[in-house]
Amino acid sequence: MAITLLFAVSALTFGAMNVLGDPLFNILGPIARDTSNPKSVKLIEKAKNDYNLDKPLPIRYGLWVSGFVRGDMGVQFSTDGQPPVTELLKERIPRTVTLLILGQLIAVLVSIPWALISASRADKFVDRLSTATTFMLVALPGFALAIILKYVFAIRLGWFPLTYRALDPLQTRLFQMLLPGFVIGLPAAAIYQRLLRTDLITTLQEDFILMARSKGVSKSRILFKHALRPSMFSFITVVGLTTGALIGGSIVVETVFRIPGIGSTLVEAVLRHDFPVVLAIVMIVATAFVLINLLIDVVYTIIDPRVHR
Amino acid sequence: MSTEAPTTSEAAAPAPGEAAIKKTLGIGFWICIGWLLVMVFVAVFATRLPIPDPKFNFIKPGQAGPSKGPSAAHWFGTDKDARDVFARTMYGARVSLTVGFIAIAFGMFVGGTLGILAGFFRGWIDRIFSFMFLVLLSFPSLVLAIMLTALLDRKLFTISMILGVLAVAPVGRLARATTMQYADREFVIAARSLGAKNKRIIVRELLPNVAIPMSALALLGMAVAIVAEGGLAFLGLSVERSITWGGMIQLGSDSSKTLQNQPWIAFFPIGVLFLTVFALNFAGDRVRTYFDVKEISL
Repeated sequence: MAITLLFAVSALTFGAMNVLGDPLFNILGPIARDTSNPKSVKLIEKAKNDYNLDKPLPIRYGLWVSGFVRGDMGVQFSTDGQPPVTELLKERIPRTVTLLILGQLIAVLVSIPWALISASRADKFVDRLSTATTFMLVALPGFALAIILKYVFAIRLGWFPLTYRALDPLQTRLFQMLLPGFVIGLPAAAIYQRLLRTDLITTLQEDFILMARSKGVSKSRILFKHALRPSMFSFITVVGLTTGALIGGSIVVETVFRIPGIGSTLVEAVLRHDFPVVLAIVMIVATAFVLINLLIDVVYTIIDPRVHR
Repeated sequence: MSTEAPTTSEAAAPAPGEAAIKKTLGIGFWICIGWLLVMVFVAVFATRLPIPDPKFNFIKPGQAGPSKGPSAAHWFGTDKDARDVFARTMYGARVSLTVGFIAIAFGMFVGGTLGILAGFFRGWIDRIFSFMFLVLLSFPSLVLAIMLTALLDRKLFTISMILGVLAVAPVGRLARATTMQYADREFVIAARSLGAKNKRIIVRELLPNVAIPMSALALLGMAVAIVAEGGLAFLGLSVERSITWGGMIQLGSDSSKTLQNQPWIAFFPIGVLFLTVFALNFAGDRVRTYFDVKEISL
């Protein structure tokens, strides 16, 4: 199933790029349209030959897939003397992955205690306030949150640096990623909190909680030991599903904080019509997304004995 | 990997005390609708309202620096080119609301049709359409939108259609699930035994029932489309040569100096965008609880 899906996704992306886009024009610029001039005709022939553009679409797709699987994603189109796409992405992917992991970590670490607090005080003032907060966080687009946090914590308070610098030592760079991590982590935390809160409230009404309470187990122990575990299953699923939204969020965040990850690279490549770079990034992201969801399915069956079929 | 989205139990268990207030939409809902109506009014009649020209440069001779903070003459201040931020914010509503509306209308029409057909006929039709939805959902939505804007042009209608394509899969899944839920109910069987054709059953029996949860999704989906348009505009990939909220926010934040010294350029459009998205989300959520819809996941 996942293989079929990946095949469909890659064929669709490749097809769209080649049919809707004009790779020849992207490589050569206006020369590609100038078929009357023999000099540019020569250039067109050479480019077609170099980039396999004279071959039919399915063959080009096959060539591209076999290259992609072996880790060769072709050359960048529009910039001369630039490293091949693979080298470019090798440098940029780790930054985005770090940012995503940091974001998810922040989201999980913020949402679990937050959900426990509001579930144990369901419908009291604290809970209502936190529900209102989740609504606001979800309604705030990523780029808006990025600018607000940047303004407050980096510009006004000066706690965090304004931008990311690729040449700084590792721990400095991790610190520079903290604020961007919060930008993508907080909206996710709001989603997780809402889910976990309703789940916890349902769990807290179960008989085994009443049983534990009547045995005199303390409130915090009930919350952590008895209620949290059965509520974790749907939580894990949503953490997986949210990864896609986080990838989208990281595109914007990388642009605001000038992090050269794959998100900002995608935007730059789109703006200069660099088609192999766009194709490679879209494919990597879609593949990662499909695989993460597959993994979540597997993990889900392992940890929850109730779904063994 | 199953094709069914794991249903979240978010809406399944109403919090204690919620049951009592469940059957009214509440004052908050009407405040949100009021705000949305104001935005629609402003967007439609922007040229006729007594607001400054959004493209005019308000520079008086002898003044230092073009950008000024909020004042009586310019409620939201002026931007780097001394243009009125309030007027631009009001005009920006045009692109956002148009794109949001067309996108979700397209998503509702295409996704709704495919979803109902898949849920009604099942079998291979269902398998094909469900696979299509799955493929569409395999791309993080902003990534798919960016890819498509790279390939197509950046006209208002094209951007709306691109975001409409993104709405197809979530809408389609909801329509499919709801149709399946109703397709075996007694009133459908009754209609069929009275000799009703498939077309009549779908239009007269199923469509009204599927439309109810879809109305909640329409509001939530419009919010998603407006946020996505804002994101594209912020990245410089939305409608060309128009005033957009995302574009204004980008202009006000592209350098830290601007953000530090003239925060109003970015923050007023952020505020209006936030209120609009919040209103759509809140109203959508109220409609969802009102009709007790469980399957929505965006």
